Amino acid sequence: MTNSRAPIHIKPEQAISEAAALGEKIARGAELFSKLRDNEVAIATTPKDEVWRQDKVTLHHYRPLADTKIATPMLIVYGLIGRYTMADLQEDRSLVRNLLNLGIDLYVVDWGNPSRADRWLTLDDYIDGYLAECVWVISERHRIDKVSLLGICEGGVFTTCYAALHPDTVKAMVLTITPIDFHGDTVENRLGHGFINIWTRSLKPEDIDRLIEAYGNLPGEFMGSVFSQMTPMRTLMKYNLDMLEVMDDEKKFLNFLRMEKWIADRPHHPGEAAKQWLKDLYQDNKLINNAFTVNGRQVDLGNITMPVLNVFAKDDHIIPPATSQALGAKVGTKDYTELPLPGGHVGVFVGGKSQALLGSGIAKWLSERQ
Amino acid sequence: MQALTELWSRGGKDFAAAQHGTSFDIASRLATATGQEGAPGSAPVTFFDLQGMTKANEAFAKLWSSAIELSQTVTRNAQQGKKQDPLVTDLLGKVFDPRAWFSSMDGMDQALQRMAEGPRLADLWDTERKMLNVFNAWTALRQRSLEHNTVMLEAWLKAAGKFAKDLNETADRKEALGSWRELLALWVETANTALLETQRSDAYLKSQREILKASTDLRLAQQEIAAFYSEMFGYPTRAELDDVHRTVTELRRELRALQRANRDAPKAARQPPKGSRKQPKQAGPNQNTP
Repeated sequence: MTNSRAPIHIKPEQAISEAAALGEKIARGAELFSKLRDNEVAIATTPKDEVWRQDKVTLHHYRPLADTKIATPMLIVYGLIGRYTMADLQEDRSLVRNLLNLGIDLYVVDWGNPSRADRWLTLDDYIDGYLAECVWVISERHRIDKVSLLGICEGGVFTTCYAALHPDTVKAMVLTITPIDFHGDTVENRLGHGFINIWTRSLKPEDIDRLIEAYGNLPGEFMGSVFSQMTPMRTLMKYNLDMLEVMDDEKKFLNFLRMEKWIADRPHHPGEAAKQWLKDLYQDNKLINNAFTVNGRQVDLGNITMPVLNVFAKDDHIIPPATSQALGAKVGTKDYTELPLPGGHVGVFVGGKSQALLGSGIAKWLSERQ
Repeated sequence: MQALTELWSRGGKDFAAAQHGTSFDIASRLATATGQEGAPGSAPVTFFDLQGMTKANEAFAKLWSSAIELSQTVTRNAQQGKKQDPLVTDLLGKVFDPRAWFSSMDGMDQALQRMAEGPRLADLWDTERKMLNVFNAWTALRQRSLEHNTVMLEAWLKAAGKFAKDLNETADRKEALGSWRELLALWVETANTALLETQRSDAYLKSQREILKASTDLRLAQQEIAAFYSEMFGYPTRAELDDVHRTVTELRRELRALQRANRDAPKAARQPPKGSRKQPKQAGPNQNTP
């Protein structure tokens, strides 16, 4: 073997140049980092008012940013894994602001920070209890019979169940990155996609029962680590290379830090609700089979008779598209629309292209159904 | 690079030896303290699985040696015939450091262990039987972690082998990677694919499940100790608190149902026959309602 066969030819002058550039970047980044304060990395800043509270759950009404163009108010429902703040991460990447600017009257429910004391709360409590109360409060405030729902991820499952159980109180339902067929990951079987589905199915039901018995809930940091495993090399590179790439650019660095703030805010998932989520839905796939029950009532997807807009991300590795798209064949309405967007799970909300398409797509779809 | 590989080699052997030595030492001390001392190497069946731990250690150490061999091959091929460039050596060192791989990939393991490892063993010495349960569970968790690391090391070997092959093919084509970014990009892509493939394997999923179970067992064993002390000093136990919380949750649930029933009763009485629902009124928040 000769020198010419060596596969790495990094020239000294180039190496020095790269090293110098890197050094400058680090210096600028370090200076920026030292000047930044936590309040400059604020997320979910769109003004809103608390209008109702029960236990740890609060309902907020966003202040309008434009004249109302869609008469029926819309309630944003996030899940118990993560927090709704992802929909309002920063001013120029905010589904909430986009919808408000397009004249939609918006509410959002915050599930709070469940602790071990909330171990016994079930999905029934969240869907048929708190969510139902939120819908009632909004209906009363506006003196209307129906509100529109915008479910995100696990929150989309909540709204789906609610809409199937109380169709006469829902004007229209928008789902985003929502799993309906929890075994739908096997349709495409893409590498790196649907790991949570595979991982959950690899457990036995008693493993989940004992986990909840031991911790009382599904710890937020536990779910965080599962998510980290889904993007292994990105996790490995995040705090060195990825951060280095952006840390000398204030705007990009703040974006990075805001996303970190949202990721770090990972509430615990109440234990009994987690058992239902992992066993009834992820393992037994009851929702798509109309076998899931809430307060003893069967959730029949055929009862979803209001218009449905189903938004999914084409490269969603957490909720593979087929798991969302399965809803189309099950709903009881002919007014069912799919809106596939480029990008991944979170990218739909914060990605430059998708988040603009998402807001305008929802507003247009709603305005056509007033 | 030579120094680096020697460091790995030494680190790997030390790690395996330390695991074994520590476990054996603690086991011996515990057995003595609790009167369960048996013949050397034949721990009582109720005691922790020393053989299993040793086996897991050996499997890991064997794989670690393979990793060293492979890294040396890659290093030789990567800089064949050239005077070693310190920058490249450093870069390769970082790229091929299996410890970095583990530090990223055992996030769940670490998260579980952080959550599980509350009080130190020394704080729990007075309750021998419960203490042994905790120790057994702790040892089992260590063993499962080691087994999981072995699976991860296999994945690392696979990725490193593919990386070396790609580098050789690059050289055969008389091409070369001209910057550390290109080199890193190749490694990231190769390693990511290897990791994602590993995550879907039965071995990975099994070892993850075993870690989860072991971590849960440890946590429950620790809670048994905590309950013992709570009862001794008159504090409520976790189980008692869970009972109280359950009652509170059920009462709240009933209260919500009652409130809703009371609220809906007059409305239901006023409700016109089905099919003649009133038209939605004009939107706009009513400031007098909640």
